[in-house]
Amino acid sequence: MILEGALVYSNLLAMLCIGLTLTYITTSVPNFAQGSFAVFGSYMSLTFLRLFSVHPYQSIPVVFFLGGVLGILVYLLILKPLIKKGASVVILMITTLALDLILLGFIGAYSEFLRNITGKPSAKFIFTPHDFTFNGLSGVLFVSTFLITAILIFLSILLYKTKFGIALRASMEKPFLAEVMGIDVEKMRIFSWFLSGSFAALSGCLLPFRQEIVPATGSIIIVSIFAASIVGGIYSLAGAVVGAYLIGFSETLLTFHLSNLFGVSVLLYSRVISLVILSLTLLLAPRGLTEVKFRWKFFSALRSGSDYTR
Amino acid sequence: MEILFSFALWFGLYAIVALSLNLEYGFAGIPNFGKALAVLVGAISVGGIMNRILAYFYGISEDNVISLSSSVRGIVNDAILSDPVLGIVIFLSSITLASLLGAVAGVIFILPSVKLKQDYLAITLLAISEVVFLVTNYSTEIVGGYYGVSVPDVFTFSGNYRNTFFILVILLFAFLVYFFVERISNSPFGRVLKAMRENEDVLKASGKNIIVLRIKAAAIGSAIASIAGALFSLYSLNVIASSFTRVEWTFYPFLMVLLGGAGNNKGVLAGVAVFVFAKIFLTMFKFEITALLNLPFEAIWFEYMLFGILMFLVLYYKPEGIFKEKPIFTKPIKKVVYKISGAKNN
Repeated sequence: MILEGALVYSNLLAMLCIGLTLTYITTSVPNFAQGSFAVFGSYMSLTFLRLFSVHPYQSIPVVFFLGGVLGILVYLLILKPLIKKGASVVILMITTLALDLILLGFIGAYSEFLRNITGKPSAKFIFTPHDFTFNGLSGVLFVSTFLITAILIFLSILLYKTKFGIALRASMEKPFLAEVMGIDVEKMRIFSWFLSGSFAALSGCLLPFRQEIVPATGSIIIVSIFAASIVGGIYSLAGAVVGAYLIGFSETLLTFHLSNLFGVSVLLYSRVISLVILSLTLLLAPRGLTEVKFRWKFFSALRSGSDYTR
Repeated sequence: MEILFSFALWFGLYAIVALSLNLEYGFAGIPNFGKALAVLVGAISVGGIMNRILAYFYGISEDNVISLSSSVRGIVNDAILSDPVLGIVIFLSSITLASLLGAVAGVIFILPSVKLKQDYLAITLLAISEVVFLVTNYSTEIVGGYYGVSVPDVFTFSGNYRNTFFILVILLFAFLVYFFVERISNSPFGRVLKAMRENEDVLKASGKNIIVLRIKAAAIGSAIASIAGALFSLYSLNVIASSFTRVEWTFYPFLMVLLGGAGNNKGVLAGVAVFVFAKIFLTMFKFEITALLNLPFEAIWFEYMLFGILMFLVLYYKPEGIFKEKPIFTKPIKKVVYKISGAKNN
């Protein structure tokens, strides 16, 4: 039962981390609004449920697309103008922090708007009653595992088997060289923001099956997202996945075992575990786990050969 | 009159926090996305630690910190009424305690990421601050969580003029902090911080230790911001963890610093004044604004969107702020400038 929760949580975290890493590599800005991107997805699927009685699982394609549109809009309207003016990383980070606040305001306002038209409270919600069960396991376990597998297969085919993927990887690793070779780096950036937004929205669509959503949920999960991305290695997509499962499982399982020892009140402090793991990683291996030289052929194959000098 | 009071109160508190952030971000270039933590530490040292110390002195014991704090308030308030000096002693020791703890917290919280690049630094500082906030908010043992704890009224002897007196004290502290930060930033240490912001490698090459400099800047900055947290708690007579959010105490100070002009203390004060004015205006007329714009939601969300957009506009149109950063004229530089201008005139 506890394993099931850990797996679902890790799957969703992996989607968010992949998105964060994608935009970090292409635009070199850590997106502090990634959590709110997910909450945006949650409220979109709530809208379809309340207004059109569409089951959250059925609204996945639309929410996926809407999240992608949000990602593109954020990049084109907010980040790109600043990048063009030569803004530093810190300025871009502050911008995503501002974006997070704008999204929080928008989502909060939207939740009240939705309450007014549907007459149902929408500030807090959970989808668990709408979920199906199979062999005693919750539906979201299957759906999220299926989707993260699909995303990983899609990404590995896209990145390693298609010309487009080679262009994308080239613009991630050496944007200048890629541009010289005639690749439209700008297009690649827009594409990465589309994927980042849509993966986050997808994750947000499934998150209410696991926990209660409020407009400020984004600012709470952002700690876990960053912890997972950094633990795995923020320059590496494989690292994002490894980090997500490590953080997801340790947050869930460690707090569960600690609560057996110290009482239920420990359950509230699962983020502390993420923070401890994050701090340890930064002290011992700041490049993340996938950058540690394990001398494992498996790992070195996974490493995407990133470049720190940027 | 009430507006003027609330303007002075928030101007004083935010000036302290924004000036400390200006030292860290504007001068030293540390993107402290965890500013709220230092303010929270100040509040904890008043609500969580000072309360327990007072309880120990007066031999009060209760099951939990919430009822403990209300008994402490009752007894200590009576004692202060008969002996005003006691109130001032408690006030000063609270501020000292807050700044000491703030400095320690500042050092501890920058340690994991002190060696790393700015983006790692920002992420880690934000994460630590957010987690400490969550823990303080959930746990009822530190400062009563969302129930909050009471704080004794250290200036209860000033009777009807208590608020006026307190606000004047806060403004005095803001002035002292301004004076202090201005002195620091014009000192050799301040110039080294600026050099670190501009180019760490050059500084390393001239034998300066970046890690030590960052730790020092964080310690000083956090110590100052902690004072604001302590003053706020002592003024409002309670500590509720949920009032120390990232938006209010990290994002808004950043907005004030960038609006006024990072690296320019006078500019930051102007930024604080503009921000506080806008915020009070929004709070005062929130019903009118909601009605006028026909908003189908509460004004707080509108405020978030507005300040978020304002931040973006500042960064896009006026990244240097209202007042641009000015070069520091030391005596040797003044001489050189004098020579050059003199040569031109001749």
